[in-house]
Amino acid sequence: MKRILAVPLLLAALAALFLPGSWGPGTAFLLALAGAALADPGVIRGTLRAGLVLGAVFAAALTAGVAAAWSSWGMGTSLGVELLLRILTVALVTGTVARSVDGERLAALAGRAGLGRLGQVLGLALNTLPHLLDTLDQVWGSLRLRSGGRLRALVRAPRLAEVVLAHAGRLADEAAGAAALRGLAVRRSAPAGLARGLPVVVVTGPGGGGKTTAVEEAVELIRRGAGVSVAGFVQPGMWGKDGREAFRVRDLVTGDEAILARRVERGRGEHGTRFVFSGEGFALAARALARVQPGAVLVADELGPVELRGGGHMPALREALGRPGLRGAVFSVRRHLVPALLAALDAADATVVTVDGAAAPAREIARRFCGGGSSL
Amino acid sequence: MSDPRPWTWAAVFGGLWGALEMTAGTALKLARIPLSGALMAALALVILVTLRRLQPTAGVCLLAGAAAVFLKVLALGGVFPGPLVAMGVEAVMVEGVFLVVGSRAVAAALAGALVLVWGLLQMVGMVWLVAGLRVLASWGEALGGLAGRVGTGGISPGVLLSLVAGLHAAAGAAAGLGAWRMAGRVGRRLRGASR
Repeated sequence: MKRILAVPLLLAALAALFLPGSWGPGTAFLLALAGAALADPGVIRGTLRAGLVLGAVFAAALTAGVAAAWSSWGMGTSLGVELLLRILTVALVTGTVARSVDGERLAALAGRAGLGRLGQVLGLALNTLPHLLDTLDQVWGSLRLRSGGRLRALVRAPRLAEVVLAHAGRLADEAAGAAALRGLAVRRSAPAGLARGLPVVVVTGPGGGGKTTAVEEAVELIRRGAGVSVAGFVQPGMWGKDGREAFRVRDLVTGDEAILARRVERGRGEHGTRFVFSGEGFALAARALARVQPGAVLVADELGPVELRGGGHMPALREALGRPGLRGAVFSVRRHLVPALLAALDAADATVVTVDGAAAPAREIARRFCGGGSSL
Repeated sequence: MSDPRPWTWAAVFGGLWGALEMTAGTALKLARIPLSGALMAALALVILVTLRRLQPTAGVCLLAGAAAVFLKVLALGGVFPGPLVAMGVEAVMVEGVFLVVGSRAVAAALAGALVLVWGLLQMVGMVWLVAGLRVLASWGEALGGLAGRVGTGGISPGVLLSLVAGLHAAAGAAAGLGAWRMAGRVGRRLRGASR
């Protein structure tokens, strides 16, 4: 109750500082003193320490001296006292607020105000803080060592910032993947039509990191190891000296192939990408997905932003995933798209296999669809 | 499509901002390095612009600002209005400019200019709050007298403040543009050349 009464007193103290005339600061100081005494008497002793009071007196004396030199002694004394009272008032108000409100109270307030998402954001920020502090320390330490001193390291600080920001981005993507799996995503449209409890493997890794190869090897292992039929498509890349120049699409049952996309000059691509797409490639992929039978494992390789926006292979994929009796599904996707894919699929039972982190990624993928008695 | 990335990015980038305030901010303050406030504002700008460029969703900067303020409160052990107001206003300014102008380099430059000028204005505001108009006028009179004696009496305090604000704005715009370019490089690091 006393704390609640202190709030208007402290606000009135701040307002009084803006009142015209010389009596404003005196009133403000008395109001701040009363507010602090009501909120927590210890604040007065804690805030008005010798160092602060001496500093305020010094500033006031300096002001008084300057004003007296340019005007009169009366004016100098009046201004000196005003400054002293203003400094002490601001110190008392900020000191009281600082001792009365803490982080937990703020977070609880956000929760009570119905800002659930804010609560999650604050929680995640707090959880990642130790890791981020470690990262900053390590990156700065290695930069300092490599640069041969603090000053030289400072010159290369933009490079450090780039590394740290990219690391924070990866951390945020991982957190988003975990959030999507725990159903914490914000739903904006219908999911892709995945049956509840359908086992899903998401294969991920960097571009050119071996995702398609791992998926193709896993398809063989699933077929041979468990006798399970597999249908769908893979999209091997065609590489040139400047990276990936085109994508092919291959039907996993018939082996038929077609060109799906070719890279073009920047700004001339379709769907916001650097590629132009062929209707023939999409048609072949749709036919491959139509071959998925009950009891089969569905494979869709190298899904991209086009699919996650609902275009490309997504309509055919939705239809295939809606068929009853599927054994499971394997999708491959670039690392930064994993959270969006999991959220789009509403996948509650997903295993993420990272090709550059697993010793035998194909076996890890296949193991999910092969019984305990298999030779994998 | 549902995508939790905007809020997880906001949380982690807010956490990064909070971590920088705890480490670099504290070190700069203890070392009493001049313009440390402007330096920290520039670092915050880099984080916010990168976040807004890579996650162009309305409100991400506000969430990141809330997370950073929350961590700062925990680090300081209480609500100290000065730095918290500065951080909150920086987040609001970057978000506001990007909302109005769109996710473009010019928005980053404008946001940078506003953020650094705000730092200066907040300092002037604090001096006004603590010292009051009468004391400020008295100091101005004394400085004007001194300036007259050294032959620079023609420069009024208002002109001087505008000059300093202009310098802050120019530095802020440059920092904003640099942050925009850095955000592009960070995006390329994260994405590679995906289709």
